[in-house]
Amino acid sequence: MRKRVNIRMSGLGGQGVVTSAHVLATAASKEGKHAISNPFFGAEKRMAPAESYVRIAGERIYDRGELVYPDVIMVFHPQVITLGKCYTMPFYSGIKAGGILIINSDEPIPLSDDDLGFLEKQNVPIFTVAATTLAVETAGTELATNMGMLGALMGATRIVAMDAMEAALQDRFGKKYVASGGTATLDEAIKKKFAKKEQLLAKNMETIRKGFDLGAAWAETIKTPMLV
Amino acid sequence: MGKEKIKICEEFYDIMPPEYRELVDSSTYGKEGRGWKDVGVAKELIEEHSLCAGCPESIAFRYVLACLPNPEDTVMVGSTGCTSLVFPHVAVHNIHSLFGNQNAVASGLKRALAHRFPGKVKDVVVLAGDGATVDIGLDMTLQSWFRQEKFLTICFDNELYANTGGQESGLMQKGFVSKMAPAGKKFDKVRLPEIAEESGCHYVATLTVSKPNRVEKAIRQGVLIAREVGPTYIQLYTPCILEIGKQAMEGLQEMRDSEGPNERFAFKEYISEEAKAYLASLEKEKKPAAIPTQG
Amino acid sequence: MEANSVIGTVNKKGQKIVDPEYLFFEAPRQQYFMTGSEVVREAIRRASVDISVAYPITPQSEAAAMVGDLYVEGYVGDYFRGESEFAVMSQCAGASFGGARVFTTTSGPGTLRAYENFPMWAGSRLPILINVMVRGINSPLNIQPDTLELGMILDTGMLIWHAETAQELFDYLLKGYIVAEEPDVHLPIAVVIDGFFVSHTKDMVMIPSADLALTPYNPYRSPVPCMDMEVPPVRMMRDPFVMKSNYISYATHASWQQEIRAAIERSRKHTIRLIGGLIEEENSDADILIVSSGTAVAQGREAIRLLAEEGIRVGIVKVKTLRPFPHEEIRQATKNAKLIFVPEFNVVGWMAREIKAVIPDNHRVIEGPHVAGGMTLPPEVIVEEIKKVLAGKKEVVHG
Repeated sequence: MRKRVNIRMSGLGGQGVVTSAHVLATAASKEGKHAISNPFFGAEKRMAPAESYVRIAGERIYDRGELVYPDVIMVFHPQVITLGKCYTMPFYSGIKAGGILIINSDEPIPLSDDDLGFLEKQNVPIFTVAATTLAVETAGTELATNMGMLGALMGATRIVAMDAMEAALQDRFGKKYVASGGTATLDEAIKKKFAKKEQLLAKNMETIRKGFDLGAAWAETIKTPMLV
Repeated sequence: MGKEKIKICEEFYDIMPPEYRELVDSSTYGKEGRGWKDVGVAKELIEEHSLCAGCPESIAFRYVLACLPNPEDTVMVGSTGCTSLVFPHVAVHNIHSLFGNQNAVASGLKRALAHRFPGKVKDVVVLAGDGATVDIGLDMTLQSWFRQEKFLTICFDNELYANTGGQESGLMQKGFVSKMAPAGKKFDKVRLPEIAEESGCHYVATLTVSKPNRVEKAIRQGVLIAREVGPTYIQLYTPCILEIGKQAMEGLQEMRDSEGPNERFAFKEYISEEAKAYLASLEKEKKPAAIPTQG
Repeated sequence: MEANSVIGTVNKKGQKIVDPEYLFFEAPRQQYFMTGSEVVREAIRRASVDISVAYPITPQSEAAAMVGDLYVEGYVGDYFRGESEFAVMSQCAGASFGGARVFTTTSGPGTLRAYENFPMWAGSRLPILINVMVRGINSPLNIQPDTLELGMILDTGMLIWHAETAQELFDYLLKGYIVAEEPDVHLPIAVVIDGFFVSHTKDMVMIPSADLALTPYNPYRSPVPCMDMEVPPVRMMRDPFVMKSNYISYATHASWQQEIRAAIERSRKHTIRLIGGLIEEENSDADILIVSSGTAVAQGREAIRLLAEEGIRVGIVKVKTLRPFPHEEIRQATKNAKLIFVPEFNVVGWMAREIKAVIPDNHRVIEGPHVAGGMTLPPEVIVEEIKKVLAGKKEVVHG
């Protein structure tokens, strides 16, 4: 078990990478853990690289800013890797030994022998999860991709409990929330999809739970010890 | 409300500076229908000035102060330039801060006074030169009008930067040779009055200060319309006799020469429909505008 | 009219006006997990602000917009978007001249565009509170947390407090008004945070009830007249000194500027009472010290943990107020240190310069590590720097 878990989320603008980080950190905070989350400090542009960071620990966290040495890297979109839409090159740069890579893709993304060799040496397993497909099938919208990814992370690492996550989602989507421009627009888009907030929350939770099951099943297949 | 706020405690009367005693005894604070005719008769709100002898700006200053409908509840905002040499002598609160930011300062000031004294008259009047109003401060001049900030902007237009020694300004006439326009100014005098109209001013007047009755009417309308309706703008020609090669006694004639029907300072006035209706309502009530609505 | 007379009354919004000390130290607080921008909103909700003027620039836009929500909700008296930071700061000045409590925010290029206003605020003794969220300045274009701008505003005559965390941000915003508005201070105050590192980062923060509010500003406690024509219109001078080249003009300017600096120093006693000292020390008896302000301190704290695991003991001195600068406090806290590291988020190392200027044997100061352009400063980099110097692998450049 690690004293601190650093999570880097890399995706594209509009995928909810920042929202995921804030929701995850809020959930950890609700469990009484110390947490800090922040987005990558960049301009907000749809489909441009977007990144966010979560630090979770049992002690007070001072460290802030971009995460250079993550324990977990979550890739929300294949283009992060295939088109290099990433703030760090290669996308796994800085990953700590024994960390985990979680990649949203229907099929495993072919990596070069060099990449694979490095990750193997660092003892970093790759978990490919079809989070967008899961989101479309479960919630009826790819806007729930981030929920699938959060579920997958939770299943693979047990970093926060389900009830804490549910409470964090209630905080984020259940009441008035002031988001910046692009995020606010997406909030409106997703609210239109669902007749009621309860329905939105329920679909989000369902997507998380299914993601969790996929993550838990994957965790069974590897020999790496749990992070937390 | 008159002189309540400035009256002197009896015991201290004899130790107050003489000009302050005069202010309390014989200024026209609170006087109904105060105006330019009080100049030279009553205690004026401008003590003395540090302008050139015979500068038309000095008489313009005295008219403006004599014609404010409610000086006891007026705060003025100035800018850097010749006018900033005069403001320290003025007996209404006045603010000098930077060069060109006068309409921004006035925006914040007016909102603060409106917030702190709801329902009470608190007039704000900007008085600045043409460099401040049209060049360095143009952005803030226009933006305050776009936002419909409720105060009067007065521009003392002397068609150049006088205080720094006669450099070209946006309100200078085309072709005039000056410092920084050594081959003559290449472009036309900026038409700020028309711009003011387009920018949302409810009252715009262009005139010289050769005719005090006209100045008085313009100032009063400018203040009253700004108080009740929206932004107002008055551009007064106050020639810099020094920089156009005139003698101290020639300022008045220069103004008269510039206000003929086809001259650039021919009297022009624009009043918005809303402002006209307001002025008509004042007329109908026959309520002398000099009386503050509350005090 | 004492400010105290309003304590216990209820404001228009239904908040109870309480003694500031009660609000700061005694009122029950609840824990929240929120971004720095949200913290700004919550502080201003309780700050009895009369006027706020906003302008968009990353990273302060979110907070500035949220203050607009407070205006709609009725917590802030008036609010609008200005046309540029220069105009905004002048609008703030106008409102403050008119006796209002004023709040605004800016960042990086906005700070520099506004620059001319800051010494004017101080010279006019306007107790405006500006929340500066630092950001890199052009060129090249940069929106990240680089603190170069902060080195440029040090001597504007403003009080400058640098918050490390969201919690400090909340407390400094409220306490800042109380110190800045003291009659023997009455100066503008910049409450500074590192953009993004604090503004966009979710962190834990303890906040008192929204039913409580700070005592409102009383403009008649100002050492200079409030420009509202409610007090006699004193003629400021018989002869304007500004353009006269004579001894009176020099002396007036010089003494007025000296008085501003003296007022900054007089703020110490209020500041120490409210924020518990101008510096904060942790293991400052160690041979090796990290001295800095803001997020550089936070990163330093993590580095100290990592070094402790390797048996290397390092202490820390956090500079909370850049103006007044804690000369004597820093001299005392560093007197036994053999090496003083000054990590910074800018390319010039202004903090190291400031520290070197006030301590003896300033060859002990190692300027760095630095990152610039808003790059993150991982604790590992600080650790590496310290170990490098200890191993004699890096030559200490003598100042």
